[in-house]
Amino acid sequence: MDLQGIGRALEATPVGDFVASSLWTFPIVETVHVIALVTVIGTIAVVDLRLLGWGSRPCAVTEIAGDALPWTWGAFALAAITGTLMFVSKAHIYVQVPWFWLKMAAMLLAGINMAVFHFFTWRSVPRWDIGREVPVAGKVAAGLSLLFWVLVVCFGRKIGFVLGVYE
Amino acid sequence: MACRLWARQGSASPVMQSLADVIVALEEWLRSTPITLVALWIQKTPVSAFVDEHAWVEPSIQSLHILTLSMLFGSVLMINLRILGRAGRSRTMVQTVQRFMPVVWWSLLVMVISGLGLILGDVVRNFTSPIFWGKMILVALAALLSLGFQSSVLRDPAFWESPGARRAVARAAAVVATLLWCAIMVAGRFIAFAPT
Repeated sequence: MDLQGIGRALEATPVGDFVASSLWTFPIVETVHVIALVTVIGTIAVVDLRLLGWGSRPCAVTEIAGDALPWTWGAFALAAITGTLMFVSKAHIYVQVPWFWLKMAAMLLAGINMAVFHFFTWRSVPRWDIGREVPVAGKVAAGLSLLFWVLVVCFGRKIGFVLGVYE
Repeated sequence: MACRLWARQGSASPVMQSLADVIVALEEWLRSTPITLVALWIQKTPVSAFVDEHAWVEPSIQSLHILTLSMLFGSVLMINLRILGRAGRSRTMVQTVQRFMPVVWWSLLVMVISGLGLILGDVVRNFTSPIFWGKMILVALAALLSLGFQSSVLRDPAFWESPGARRAVARAAAVVATLLWCAIMVAGRFIAFAPT
């Protein structure tokens, strides 16, 4: 079975069918998706900007991260759920859209970047938590994080504009 | 998508349907006012034609609009979490305001400019949409509340730090402000689902 075939099978599931056939579900799901992704990027940016030294300098990195990141994760879960709901309602169309795959690739890169930062750079955080310059690796991770999330938004927005072409 | 959403009678819940009816009635009224002529005139200007004729312009402005919104909402959230005692405990309210309110104001400025660009993409649709005007009222309200909040913190920081009953007012204001920005986002998204 090819990708479009898998997509059509997903659309035939009760969840896919519900989102596609219900009048208000797609717009409501999309709106929740926007609020969730805005929260993800807004809270990540607070941490990234602190790492880059462009804001919250008097605050400990661990404090900023502790304040912001739980909201990032909660909002990300919500964005992932709503994103999946939109996907399964038109799966055979989404899999044909290049912007969709570019968005997934940008999210994957953001995830790898975050994992590398967390498992390597973050181990030395007690040494640069407050009052010290963040190591270059931390600043690079913060810059890449901002870049990847900007790309996620740009690619994501393009999907909505070209969906009709593939219907 | 847009037309289908409102035109299909009976398949939506009664509450949603009656809400849709009110919006459609308001829209018909807006169409009968001179605002339609103003919109048509703006739509014929070269700037509006530029947005309309170049396919890359609108998604680009929308992406900028969403990214600046992220900066704004992230800052609003951090300020309101500080008021609720769930973030930034090591900082005073004044420090929190000084860190995040400039981001709110600069983001708002960029959002107004990029928002004007988005209006130009379809002036008549926006100007005759009750949801669009509802959103504008909510944005004005949010800006006024932010201004009031900022001057209140700088004038009387003790109020925002104080415990007890006064704090309950501050907490309620924080929740209302966050919900207000969510309502603005809902309205923003639903302009696109309104009838054309």
